[in-house]
Amino acid sequence: MIKTTARAKQWLSLAISLIAIATTGAAHSRMDFMSNPEPAEIVVPPRRFARLMTLGFDATFADYYWMRAVQLSGGEENADTDATAGILETIVEINPWVDHPYRFAAVWLTSSPAIVERANRLLEIGIAHHPLEWRNRYHLGFNQFFYLDRPLLAADTLEGTIGLERTPRYVPRLIARLRSSQGGLAVASAFITQLIEETDDEFQKAELSKALDEIEIERRARFLDEAREEYWRRKGRDIERVTDLLTGPNPVLERLPRAQLFLDGFEWILHEETGVIVSSFYRSRYELHVTPSDRARQKRWGEMRKRQEGV
Amino acid sequence: MILRIWTLASNTVREAIRSKLLYTLLGFAIALILLAIALSQLSYIDNDRILQNFGFASIRLFSVAIAIFVGVNLIHKEVDRRTVYTILSKPLSRSEFLLGKYFGLLITIWLQLGIMVAFFVGTSVVTGASLGLSDAAVIALLCVELALVVAIATLFSAFTTPMLASFFSVGIWIVGNLTRDLKLMGAKASDTSIEWVTTWLHRVLPDMASFDLTIEAAHGLPISASDLAIPMVYGVGYIVILLMISMAIFERRDFR
Repeated sequence: MIKTTARAKQWLSLAISLIAIATTGAAHSRMDFMSNPEPAEIVVPPRRFARLMTLGFDATFADYYWMRAVQLSGGEENADTDATAGILETIVEINPWVDHPYRFAAVWLTSSPAIVERANRLLEIGIAHHPLEWRNRYHLGFNQFFYLDRPLLAADTLEGTIGLERTPRYVPRLIARLRSSQGGLAVASAFITQLIEETDDEFQKAELSKALDEIEIERRARFLDEAREEYWRRKGRDIERVTDLLTGPNPVLERLPRAQLFLDGFEWILHEETGVIVSSFYRSRYELHVTPSDRARQKRWGEMRKRQEGV
Repeated sequence: MILRIWTLASNTVREAIRSKLLYTLLGFAIALILLAIALSQLSYIDNDRILQNFGFASIRLFSVAIAIFVGVNLIHKEVDRRTVYTILSKPLSRSEFLLGKYFGLLITIWLQLGIMVAFFVGTSVVTGASLGLSDAAVIALLCVELALVVAIATLFSAFTTPMLASFFSVGIWIVGNLTRDLKLMGAKASDTSIEWVTTWLHRVLPDMASFDLTIEAAHGLPISASDLAIPMVYGVGYIVILLMISMAIFERRDFR
Protein backbone atom coordinates (compact mmCIF):
# COMPACT_ATOMS: atom_id res chain seq x y z
CA MET A 1 0.00 0.00 0.00
CA ILE A 2 2.81 2.40 1.03
CA LYS A 3 4.82 1.37 -2.05
CA THR A 4 1.82 2.04 -4.32
CA THR A 5 1.26 5.48 -2.81
CA ALA A 6 4.91 6.39 -3.23
CA ARG A 7 4.84 5.27 -6.86
CA ALA A 8 1.64 7.24 -7.45
CA LYS A 9 3.35 10.31 -6.02
CA GLN A 10 6.28 9.81 -8.37
CA TRP A 11 3.95 9.52 -11.38
CA LEU A 12 2.03 12.57 -10.23
CA SER A 13 5.26 14.58 -9.91
CA LEU A 14 6.36 13.45 -13.35
CA ALA A 15 2.98 14.36 -14.84
CA ILE A 16 2.99 17.81 -13.23
CA SER A 17 6.53 18.39 -14.45
CA LEU A 18 5.66 17.36 -18.00
CA ILE A 19 2.54 19.54 -18.00
CA ALA A 20 4.59 22.47 -16.68
CA ILE A 21 7.26 21.97 -19.39
CA ALA A 22 4.62 21.67 -22.14
CA THR A 23 2.70 24.73 -20.91
CA THR A 24 5.83 26.85 -20.56
CA GLY A 25 7.10 25.77 -23.98
CA ALA A 26 3.74 26.47 -25.62
CA ALA A 27 3.43 29.88 -23.98
CA HIS A 28 7.00 30.78 -24.91
CA SER A 29 6.58 29.77 -28.53
CA ARG A 30 3.52 32.04 -28.78
CA MET A 31 5.41 35.07 -27.59
CA ASP A 32 5.59 37.27 -30.67
CA PHE A 33 8.89 39.05 -30.51
CA MET A 34 9.87 38.68 -34.16
CA SER A 35 7.34 41.19 -35.50
CA ASN A 36 8.77 43.81 -33.18
CA PRO A 37 12.40 42.72 -32.89
CA GLU A 38 13.80 45.95 -31.51
CA PRO A 39 12.39 48.57 -29.20
CA ALA A 40 12.00 51.98 -30.81
CA GLU A 41 15.08 53.19 -28.99
CA ILE A 42 18.06 51.23 -27.80
CA VAL A 43 18.86 52.31 -24.30
CA VAL A 44 22.32 53.80 -24.32
CA PRO A 45 23.80 55.30 -21.16
CA PRO A 46 24.39 59.06 -21.28
CA ARG A 47 27.90 59.72 -22.60
CA ARG A 48 28.88 61.53 -19.41
CA PHE A 49 28.18 58.49 -17.24
CA ALA A 50 28.90 55.78 -19.80
CA ARG A 51 32.31 54.90 -18.40
CA LEU A 52 31.03 54.82 -14.83
CA MET A 53 28.29 52.40 -15.78
CA THR A 54 30.67 49.85 -17.27
CA LEU A 55 32.11 49.10 -13.80
CA GLY A 56 35.56 48.59 -15.23
CA PHE A 57 34.46 46.37 -18.11
CA ASP A 58 35.04 49.11 -20.69
CA ALA A 59 36.18 46.91 -23.55
CA THR A 60 33.34 44.43 -23.10
CA PHE A 61 30.63 47.09 -22.99
CA ALA A 62 32.15 48.84 -26.01
CA ASP A 63 32.00 45.53 -27.89
CA TYR A 64 28.41 44.96 -26.79
CA TYR A 65 27.30 48.35 -28.08
CA TRP A 66 29.33 47.83 -31.24
CA MET A 67 27.35 44.67 -31.96
CA ARG A 68 24.11 46.57 -31.30
CA ALA A 69 25.22 49.27 -33.76
CA VAL A 70 25.98 46.65 -36.40
CA GLN A 71 22.57 45.04 -35.90
CA LEU A 72 20.77 48.37 -35.91
CA SER A 73 22.34 49.55 -39.14
CA GLY A 74 22.46 46.19 -40.87
CA GLY A 75 18.94 45.16 -39.96
CA GLU A 76 17.00 47.85 -41.79
CA GLU A 77 17.34 49.68 -45.06
CA ASN A 78 16.41 53.00 -43.53
CA ALA A 79 18.25 52.56 -40.27
CA ASP A 80 17.87 55.20 -37.59
CA THR A 81 21.15 57.05 -38.08
CA ASP A 82 20.51 59.23 -35.04
CA ALA A 83 20.35 56.14 -32.81
CA THR A 84 23.38 54.64 -34.55
CA ALA A 85 25.32 57.87 -34.00
CA GLY A 86 24.34 57.81 -30.31
CA ILE A 87 25.58 54.24 -29.89
CA LEU A 88 28.82 54.94 -31.72
CA GLU A 89 29.46 58.03 -29.59
CA THR A 90 28.93 55.94 -26.47
CA ILE A 91 31.32 53.25 -27.76
CA VAL A 92 34.01 55.84 -28.37
CA GLU A 93 33.40 57.42 -24.98
CA ILE A 94 33.80 54.04 -23.25
CA ASN A 95 36.76 52.86 -25.32
CA PRO A 96 38.29 55.39 -27.73
CA TRP A 97 40.89 52.82 -28.81
CA VAL A 98 38.33 50.97 -30.90
CA ASP A 99 39.22 50.85 -34.54
CA HIS A 100 36.45 49.96 -36.95
CA PRO A 101 33.56 51.95 -35.39
CA TYR A 102 35.13 55.17 -36.68
CA ARG A 103 34.94 54.03 -40.29
CA PHE A 104 31.53 52.51 -39.64
CA ALA A 105 30.39 55.99 -38.56
CA ALA A 106 31.86 57.49 -41.73
CA VAL A 107 30.04 55.03 -43.95
CA TRP A 108 26.67 54.92 -42.19
CA LEU A 109 26.18 58.40 -40.75
CA THR A 110 25.43 60.29 -43.94
CA SER A 111 21.72 61.05 -43.78
CA SER A 112 21.93 64.79 -43.03
CA PRO A 113 24.55 67.52 -42.55
CA ALA A 114 24.15 67.30 -38.77
CA ILE A 115 24.69 63.54 -38.80
CA VAL A 116 27.73 63.90 -41.06
CA GLU A 117 29.13 66.47 -38.64
CA ARG A 118 28.67 63.92 -35.81
CA ALA A 119 30.47 61.29 -37.91
CA ASN A 120 33.27 63.79 -38.51
CA ARG A 121 33.62 64.46 -34.78
CA LEU A 122 33.96 60.72 -34.22
CA LEU A 123 36.55 60.51 -36.99
CA GLU A 124 38.52 63.31 -35.34
CA ILE A 125 38.60 61.28 -32.11
CA GLY A 126 39.68 58.29 -34.21
CA ILE A 127 42.53 60.32 -35.73
CA ALA A 128 43.63 61.44 -32.26
CA HIS A 129 43.80 57.83 -31.04
CA HIS A 130 45.11 56.25 -34.24
CA PRO A 131 47.32 58.96 -35.77
CA LEU A 132 49.07 56.50 -38.10
CA GLU A 133 45.83 55.12 -39.58
CA TRP A 134 45.28 56.76 -42.99
CA ARG A 135 41.67 55.60 -43.40
CA ASN A 136 40.16 57.81 -40.66
CA ARG A 137 41.73 60.90 -42.21
CA TYR A 138 40.65 59.78 -45.66
CA HIS A 139 37.02 59.28 -44.59
CA LEU A 140 37.01 62.64 -42.81
CA GLY A 141 38.39 64.38 -45.90
CA PHE A 142 35.88 62.58 -48.10
CA ASN A 143 32.98 63.64 -45.85
CA GLN A 144 34.19 67.23 -45.83
CA PHE A 145 34.32 67.34 -49.60
CA PHE A 146 31.54 65.02 -50.71
CA TYR A 147 28.83 65.76 -48.13
CA LEU A 148 29.73 69.18 -46.78
CA ASP A 149 31.23 70.69 -49.96
CA ARG A 150 34.36 72.02 -48.26
CA PRO A 151 37.10 71.00 -50.71
CA LEU A 152 39.90 73.07 -49.24
CA LEU A 153 39.25 71.76 -45.73
CA ALA A 154 39.12 68.24 -47.22
CA ALA A 155 42.47 68.86 -48.93
CA ASP A 156 43.98 69.95 -45.61
CA THR A 157 42.65 66.80 -43.93
CA LEU A 158 43.82 64.51 -46.72
CA GLU A 159 47.30 65.99 -46.62
CA GLY A 160 47.65 64.25 -43.26
CA THR A 161 47.50 60.87 -45.01
CA ILE A 162 50.61 61.51 -47.10
CA GLY A 163 53.49 59.45 -45.85
CA LEU A 164 51.30 57.14 -43.80
CA GLU A 165 51.60 53.44 -44.47
CA ARG A 166 49.16 52.05 -47.07
CA THR A 167 47.89 55.45 -48.20
CA PRO A 168 46.83 54.94 -51.85
CA ARG A 169 49.07 56.53 -54.46
CA TYR A 170 46.21 58.54 -55.95
CA VAL A 171 45.61 60.57 -52.78
CA PRO A 172 48.14 63.37 -53.59
CA ARG A 173 46.53 63.86 -57.01
CA LEU A 174 43.11 63.95 -55.35
CA ILE A 175 44.37 66.65 -52.98
CA ALA A 176 45.67 68.65 -55.93
CA ARG A 177 42.28 68.40 -57.63
CA LEU A 178 40.56 69.51 -54.43
CA ARG A 179 42.87 72.50 -54.22
CA SER A 180 42.31 73.37 -57.88
CA SER A 181 38.53 73.16 -57.51
CA GLN A 182 38.38 76.63 -56.04
CA GLY A 183 40.64 78.21 -58.62
CA GLY A 184 43.84 77.27 -56.88
CA LEU A 185 45.74 75.78 -59.83
CA ALA A 186 48.93 77.46 -58.66
CA VAL A 187 48.47 75.94 -55.19
CA ALA A 188 47.75 72.53 -56.70
CA SER A 189 50.81 72.80 -58.90
CA ALA A 190 53.05 73.91 -56.04
CA PHE A 191 51.72 71.06 -53.89
CA ILE A 192 52.50 68.45 -56.53
CA THR A 193 55.92 69.95 -57.25
CA GLN A 194 56.78 69.77 -53.56
CA LEU A 195 55.68 66.13 -53.41
CA ILE A 196 57.83 65.30 -56.43
CA GLU A 197 60.82 66.84 -54.67
CA GLU A 198 60.14 64.94 -51.45
CA THR A 199 59.49 61.45 -52.80
CA ASP A 200 62.18 58.88 -53.61
CA ASP A 201 59.69 56.52 -55.20
CA GLU A 202 60.21 56.70 -58.96
CA PHE A 203 56.75 55.33 -59.73
CA GLN A 204 55.18 57.93 -57.46
CA LYS A 205 57.31 60.63 -59.10
CA ALA A 206 56.05 59.60 -62.54
CA GLU A 207 52.44 59.58 -61.32
CA LEU A 208 52.82 63.04 -59.82
CA SER A 209 54.50 64.37 -62.95
CA LYS A 210 51.47 63.21 -64.91
CA ALA A 211 49.28 65.19 -62.50
CA LEU A 212 51.50 68.22 -63.02
CA ASP A 213 51.05 67.90 -66.80
CA GLU A 214 47.31 67.67 -66.30
CA ILE A 215 47.33 70.85 -64.21
CA GLU A 216 49.27 72.65 -66.94
CA ILE A 217 46.75 71.53 -69.57
CA GLU A 218 43.94 72.70 -67.27
CA ARG A 219 45.61 76.08 -66.94
CA ARG A 220 45.69 76.31 -70.77
CA ALA A 221 42.05 75.20 -70.97
CA ARG A 222 41.08 77.97 -68.56
CA PHE A 223 42.99 80.43 -70.77
CA LEU A 224 40.93 79.16 -73.71
CA ASP A 225 37.75 79.61 -71.65
CA GLU A 226 38.62 83.28 -71.28
CA ALA A 227 39.32 83.54 -75.01
CA ARG A 228 35.95 81.94 -75.67
CA GLU A 229 34.23 84.60 -73.56
CA GLU A 230 36.09 87.29 -75.51
CA TYR A 231 34.93 85.67 -78.75
CA TRP A 232 31.34 85.86 -77.48
CA ARG A 233 31.73 89.51 -76.65
CA ARG A 234 33.19 90.35 -80.05
CA LYS A 235 30.97 88.21 -82.29
CA GLY A 236 27.84 87.96 -80.19
CA ARG A 237 27.79 84.19 -80.54
CA ASP A 238 29.61 81.12 -79.22
CA ILE A 239 32.33 79.19 -81.06
CA GLU A 240 31.35 76.09 -83.03
CA ARG A 241 34.82 74.64 -82.79
CA VAL A 242 37.91 75.72 -80.85
CA THR A 243 39.76 76.78 -84.02
CA ASP A 244 37.10 79.53 -84.44
CA LEU A 245 39.20 81.47 -81.92
CA LEU A 246 41.89 81.81 -84.63
CA THR A 247 39.67 82.68 -87.57
CA GLY A 248 37.88 85.80 -88.84
CA PRO A 249 39.01 89.38 -89.48
CA ASN A 250 39.75 90.06 -85.83
CA PRO A 251 40.83 86.71 -84.34
CA VAL A 252 40.85 86.36 -80.56
CA LEU A 253 44.03 84.29 -80.59
CA GLU A 254 46.93 84.04 -83.00
CA ARG A 255 47.58 80.42 -82.20
CA LEU A 256 46.35 77.69 -79.84
CA PRO A 257 48.54 76.27 -77.09
CA ARG A 258 49.53 72.61 -77.34
CA ALA A 259 46.78 70.21 -76.21
CA GLN A 260 49.36 67.73 -74.95
CA LEU A 261 52.69 68.79 -73.55
CA PHE A 262 54.91 66.17 -75.17
CA LEU A 263 52.90 64.23 -77.74
CA ASP A 264 51.74 65.43 -81.14
CA GLY A 265 48.39 64.61 -82.73
CA PHE A 266 46.13 65.96 -80.01
CA GLU A 267 43.93 69.03 -80.28
CA TRP A 268 41.48 71.18 -78.41
CA ILE A 269 37.86 70.11 -78.89
CA LEU A 270 34.43 70.93 -77.50
CA HIS A 271 33.23 68.12 -75.26
CA GLU A 272 30.34 66.33 -76.97
CA GLU A 273 28.11 66.35 -73.88
CA THR A 274 29.08 69.39 -71.83
CA GLY A 275 30.38 71.65 -74.60
CA VAL A 276 33.38 72.74 -72.56
CA ILE A 277 36.84 73.04 -74.12
CA VAL A 278 38.91 69.92 -73.45
CA SER A 279 42.12 68.40 -74.72
CA SER A 280 41.47 65.40 -76.97
CA PHE A 281 44.17 63.63 -74.92
CA TYR A 282 42.33 63.86 -71.59
CA ARG A 283 38.76 64.41 -72.90
CA SER A 284 37.80 65.93 -69.55
CA ARG A 285 38.73 68.91 -67.44
CA TYR A 286 40.93 68.79 -64.34
CA GLU A 287 38.21 68.91 -61.73
CA LEU A 288 36.44 66.74 -59.23
CA HIS A 289 33.79 64.58 -60.80
CA VAL A 290 30.55 64.88 -58.89
CA THR A 291 27.31 63.48 -60.30
CA PRO A 292 24.46 65.96 -60.84
CA SER A 293 22.41 64.36 -58.05
CA ASP A 294 25.31 64.64 -55.61
CA ARG A 295 25.92 68.20 -56.69
CA ALA A 296 22.21 68.95 -56.07
CA ARG A 297 22.42 67.37 -52.62
CA GLN A 298 25.53 69.38 -51.76
CA LYS A 299 23.67 72.54 -52.74
CA ARG A 300 20.56 71.56 -50.77
CA TRP A 301 22.58 70.71 -47.65
CA GLY A 302 24.62 73.86 -47.99
CA GLU A 303 21.45 75.95 -47.97
CA MET A 304 20.16 73.95 -45.02
CA ARG A 305 23.37 74.64 -43.09
CA LYS A 306 23.22 78.34 -43.89
CA ARG A 307 19.64 78.50 -42.65
CA GLN A 308 20.57 76.70 -39.42
CA GLU A 309 23.57 78.95 -38.86
CA GLY A 310 21.34 81.95 -39.53
CA VAL A 311 18.88 80.76 -36.89
CA MET B 1 55.95 30.42 11.42
CA ILE B 2 56.00 30.03 7.65
CA LEU B 3 55.51 26.28 8.03
CA ARG B 4 52.49 26.82 10.28
CA ILE B 5 50.98 29.30 7.80
CA TRP B 6 51.70 26.92 4.92
CA THR B 7 50.04 24.00 6.74
CA LEU B 8 46.94 26.07 7.36
CA ALA B 9 46.98 27.38 3.79
CA SER B 10 47.16 23.91 2.30
CA ASN B 11 44.28 22.79 4.53
CA THR B 12 42.31 25.84 3.40
CA VAL B 13 42.90 24.90 -0.24
CA ARG B 14 41.64 21.36 0.47
CA GLU B 15 38.58 22.80 2.17
CA ALA B 16 37.92 25.45 -0.50
CA ILE B 17 38.10 23.07 -3.44
CA ARG B 18 35.25 21.13 -1.86
CA SER B 19 33.04 24.23 -2.13
CA LYS B 20 30.11 23.69 -4.51
CA LEU B 21 29.87 27.44 -5.00
CA LEU B 22 33.37 27.51 -6.44
CA TYR B 23 32.52 24.86 -9.05
CA THR B 24 29.22 26.51 -9.92
CA LEU B 25 30.89 29.85 -10.58
CA LEU B 26 33.77 28.16 -12.39
CA GLY B 27 31.26 26.34 -14.60
CA PHE B 28 29.49 29.57 -15.44
CA ALA B 29 32.80 31.25 -16.26
CA ILE B 30 33.83 28.46 -18.62
CA ALA B 31 30.38 28.50 -20.26
CA LEU B 32 30.69 32.25 -20.80
CA ILE B 33 34.19 31.91 -22.25
CA LEU B 34 32.83 29.36 -24.72
CA LEU B 35 29.82 31.58 -25.40
CA ALA B 36 32.23 34.34 -26.37
CA ILE B 37 32.95 32.38 -29.57
CA ALA B 38 29.30 32.73 -30.61
CA LEU B 39 29.08 36.34 -29.45
CA SER B 40 32.15 37.35 -31.42
CA GLN B 41 30.46 36.10 -34.60
CA LEU B 42 27.74 38.75 -34.23
CA SER B 43 30.21 41.31 -35.53
CA TYR B 44 31.41 41.18 -39.15
CA ILE B 45 34.84 42.41 -38.14
CA ASP B 46 37.27 42.30 -35.19
CA ASN B 47 35.96 38.89 -34.08
CA ASP B 48 39.25 37.97 -32.41
CA ARG B 49 39.29 41.14 -30.37
CA ILE B 50 35.67 40.68 -29.26
CA LEU B 51 36.40 37.06 -28.31
CA GLN B 52 39.35 38.24 -26.27
CA ASN B 53 37.46 41.05 -24.55
CA PHE B 54 34.54 38.79 -23.58
CA GLY B 55 36.95 36.06 -22.48
CA PHE B 56 38.91 38.38 -20.22
CA ALA B 57 35.72 39.94 -18.87
CA SER B 58 34.31 36.50 -17.99
CA ILE B 59 37.52 35.46 -16.30
CA ARG B 60 37.73 38.69 -14.31
CA LEU B 61 34.08 38.81 -13.29
CA PHE B 62 33.86 35.20 -12.11
CA SER B 63 37.29 35.16 -10.48
CA VAL B 64 36.31 38.19 -8.41
CA ALA B 65 32.94 36.58 -7.60
CA ILE B 66 34.66 33.40 -6.43
CA ALA B 67 37.23 35.36 -4.44
CA ILE B 68 34.52 37.30 -2.62
CA PHE B 69 31.83 34.67 -2.09
CA VAL B 70 34.18 31.85 -1.15
CA GLY B 71 36.49 34.19 0.78
CA VAL B 72 33.91 35.71 3.09
CA ASN B 73 32.86 32.26 4.33
CA LEU B 74 36.21 30.83 5.29
CA ILE B 75 36.68 32.35 8.74
CA HIS B 76 32.97 32.36 9.48
CA LYS B 77 32.78 28.59 8.89
CA GLU B 78 35.58 27.96 11.37
CA VAL B 79 33.85 30.10 13.97
CA ASP B 80 30.43 28.64 13.23
CA ARG B 81 31.65 25.05 13.52
CA ARG B 82 33.74 26.04 16.56
CA THR B 83 36.82 24.51 14.92
CA VAL B 84 38.54 27.87 15.38
CA TYR B 85 38.90 27.10 19.09
CA THR B 86 40.66 23.82 18.36
CA ILE B 87 42.99 25.45 15.85
CA LEU B 88 43.80 28.45 18.02
CA SER B 89 44.45 26.20 21.05
CA LYS B 90 47.47 24.89 19.10
CA PRO B 91 50.72 26.89 19.05
CA LEU B 92 49.39 29.16 16.35
CA SER B 93 48.68 32.85 16.67
CA ARG B 94 45.52 34.48 15.38
CA SER B 95 47.55 36.42 12.82
CA GLU B 96 49.09 33.20 11.51
CA PHE B 97 45.62 31.68 11.32
CA LEU B 98 44.38 34.65 9.28
CA LEU B 99 47.41 34.62 6.99
CA GLY B 100 47.05 30.88 6.48
CA LYS B 101 43.43 31.36 5.49
CA TYR B 102 44.35 34.24 3.19
CA PHE B 103 47.09 32.39 1.34
CA GLY B 104 45.01 29.22 1.16
CA LEU B 105 42.18 31.06 -0.50
CA LEU B 106 44.59 32.92 -2.76
CA ILE B 107 46.11 29.67 -4.01
CA THR B 108 42.59 28.32 -4.63
CA ILE B 109 41.64 31.44 -6.58
CA TRP B 110 44.81 31.31 -8.65
CA LEU B 111 44.19 27.62 -9.37
CA GLN B 112 40.71 28.31 -10.69
CA LEU B 113 42.14 31.26 -12.63
CA GLY B 114 44.58 28.82 -14.22
CA ILE B 115 41.67 26.60 -15.29
CA MET B 116 39.80 29.55 -16.80
CA VAL B 117 42.91 30.77 -18.60
CA ALA B 118 43.45 27.26 -19.99
CA PHE B 119 39.91 27.33 -21.45
CA PHE B 120 40.49 30.85 -22.76
CA VAL B 121 43.71 29.83 -24.46
CA GLY B 122 41.93 26.74 -25.83
CA THR B 123 39.12 28.78 -27.38
CA SER B 124 41.64 31.27 -28.79
CA VAL B 125 43.67 28.48 -30.39
CA VAL B 126 40.55 26.79 -31.80
CA THR B 127 39.24 30.04 -33.30
CA GLY B 128 42.67 31.13 -34.49
CA ALA B 129 42.72 34.28 -32.33
CA SER B 130 46.23 35.49 -31.68
CA LEU B 131 47.72 35.45 -28.18
CA GLY B 132 50.77 37.33 -27.05
CA LEU B 133 52.80 38.67 -24.19
CA SER B 134 50.29 41.47 -23.65
CA ASP B 135 47.68 38.80 -22.80
CA ALA B 136 50.09 37.34 -20.26
CA ALA B 137 50.45 40.84 -18.78
CA VAL B 138 46.65 41.07 -18.42
CA ILE B 139 46.60 37.77 -16.51
CA ALA B 140 49.57 38.77 -14.34
CA LEU B 141 47.81 41.93 -13.19
CA LEU B 142 44.57 40.01 -12.75
CA CYS B 143 46.45 37.76 -10.31
CA VAL B 144 47.38 40.86 -8.28
CA GLU B 145 43.82 42.21 -8.46
CA LEU B 146 42.46 38.88 -7.19
CA ALA B 147 45.01 38.86 -4.36
CA LEU B 148 43.75 42.31 -3.39
CA VAL B 149 40.09 41.24 -3.60
CA VAL B 150 40.84 38.23 -1.38
CA ALA B 151 42.53 40.60 1.08
CA ILE B 152 39.44 42.81 1.11
CA ALA B 153 37.18 39.79 1.66
CA THR B 154 39.49 38.56 4.43
CA LEU B 155 39.40 41.98 6.13
CA PHE B 156 35.62 42.08 6.26
CA SER B 157 35.27 38.41 7.17
CA ALA B 158 37.58 39.07 10.14
CA PHE B 159 34.92 41.06 11.99
CA THR B 160 31.50 40.67 10.38
CA THR B 161 29.00 38.16 8.99
CA PRO B 162 29.43 36.60 5.52
CA MET B 163 26.39 38.49 4.22
CA LEU B 164 27.75 41.87 5.26
CA ALA B 165 31.31 40.95 4.32
CA SER B 166 30.23 40.03 0.77
CA PHE B 167 28.13 43.19 0.55
CA PHE B 168 31.06 45.39 1.64
CA SER B 169 33.60 43.55 -0.54
CA VAL B 170 31.45 43.84 -3.67
CA GLY B 171 30.86 47.51 -2.88
CA ILE B 172 34.55 48.23 -2.45
CA TRP B 173 35.38 46.39 -5.66
CA ILE B 174 32.75 48.32 -7.65
CA VAL B 175 33.72 51.71 -6.22
CA GLY B 176 37.38 50.77 -6.68
CA ASN B 177 36.66 50.38 -10.38
CA LEU B 178 35.07 53.82 -10.54
CA THR B 179 37.47 55.97 -8.54
CA ARG B 180 39.51 57.05 -11.58
CA ASP B 181 36.44 58.19 -13.50
CA LEU B 182 34.98 59.80 -10.40
CA LYS B 183 38.21 61.71 -9.91
CA LEU B 184 38.12 62.92 -13.52
CA MET B 185 34.49 63.97 -13.12
CA GLY B 186 35.28 65.69 -9.82
CA ALA B 187 38.10 67.63 -11.47
CA LYS B 188 35.56 69.05 -13.91
CA ALA B 189 33.05 69.94 -11.19
CA SER B 190 32.63 73.58 -10.27
CA ASP B 191 32.33 72.73 -6.56
CA THR B 192 35.81 72.24 -5.06
CA SER B 193 34.47 70.06 -2.24
CA ILE B 194 33.36 67.48 -4.84
CA GLU B 195 36.83 67.53 -6.32
CA TRP B 196 38.31 67.06 -2.85
CA VAL B 197 36.02 64.11 -2.07
CA THR B 198 36.63 62.34 -5.40
CA THR B 199 40.39 62.91 -5.13
CA TRP B 200 40.47 61.33 -1.66
CA LEU B 201 38.24 58.47 -2.72
CA HIS B 202 40.75 57.76 -5.45
CA ARG B 203 43.66 57.95 -3.01
CA VAL B 204 42.15 55.87 -0.23
CA LEU B 205 40.12 53.19 -2.00
CA PRO B 206 41.85 50.52 -4.07
CA ASP B 207 42.29 51.69 -7.66
CA MET B 208 41.03 48.51 -9.33
CA ALA B 209 41.20 50.07 -12.82
CA SER B 210 44.99 50.12 -12.51
CA PHE B 211 45.03 46.32 -12.78
CA ASP B 212 43.10 46.20 -16.05
CA LEU B 213 45.18 46.08 -19.23
CA THR B 214 42.46 44.46 -21.35
CA ILE B 215 42.11 47.42 -23.71
CA GLU B 216 45.86 47.69 -24.19
CA ALA B 217 46.12 43.97 -24.96
CA ALA B 218 43.11 43.86 -27.26
CA HIS B 219 44.16 46.88 -29.33
CA GLY B 220 47.85 46.06 -29.45
CA LEU B 221 48.82 49.18 -27.53
CA PRO B 222 52.33 49.20 -26.07
CA ILE B 223 52.61 47.90 -22.50
CA SER B 224 55.78 49.06 -20.80
CA ALA B 225 57.51 47.36 -17.88
CA SER B 226 56.32 50.17 -15.61
CA ASP B 227 52.70 49.59 -16.71
CA LEU B 228 53.09 46.18 -15.17
CA ALA B 229 55.49 46.82 -12.30
CA ILE B 230 53.89 49.92 -10.73
CA PRO B 231 50.40 48.40 -10.33
CA MET B 232 52.05 45.25 -8.94
CA VAL B 233 53.93 47.26 -6.30
CA TYR B 234 50.77 49.25 -5.57
CA GLY B 235 48.69 46.07 -5.26
CA VAL B 236 51.16 44.27 -3.00
CA GLY B 237 51.48 47.36 -0.82
CA TYR B 238 47.72 47.66 -0.50
CA ILE B 239 47.41 43.95 0.33
CA VAL B 240 49.99 44.28 3.12
CA ILE B 241 48.08 47.24 4.60
CA LEU B 242 44.76 45.34 4.46
CA LEU B 243 46.26 42.22 6.00
CA MET B 244 47.85 44.25 8.82
CA ILE B 245 44.46 45.83 9.60
CA SER B 246 42.76 42.41 9.34
CA MET B 247 45.25 40.86 11.75
CA ALA B 248 44.87 43.73 14.22
CA ILE B 249 41.08 43.33 14.18
CA PHE B 250 41.21 39.54 14.32
CA GLU B 251 43.61 39.60 17.29
CA ARG B 252 41.02 41.58 19.27
CA ARG B 253 37.96 39.69 18.12
CA ASP B 254 35.83 38.01 20.74
CA PHE B 255 34.50 34.66 19.45
CA ARG B 256 31.93 34.14 22.20
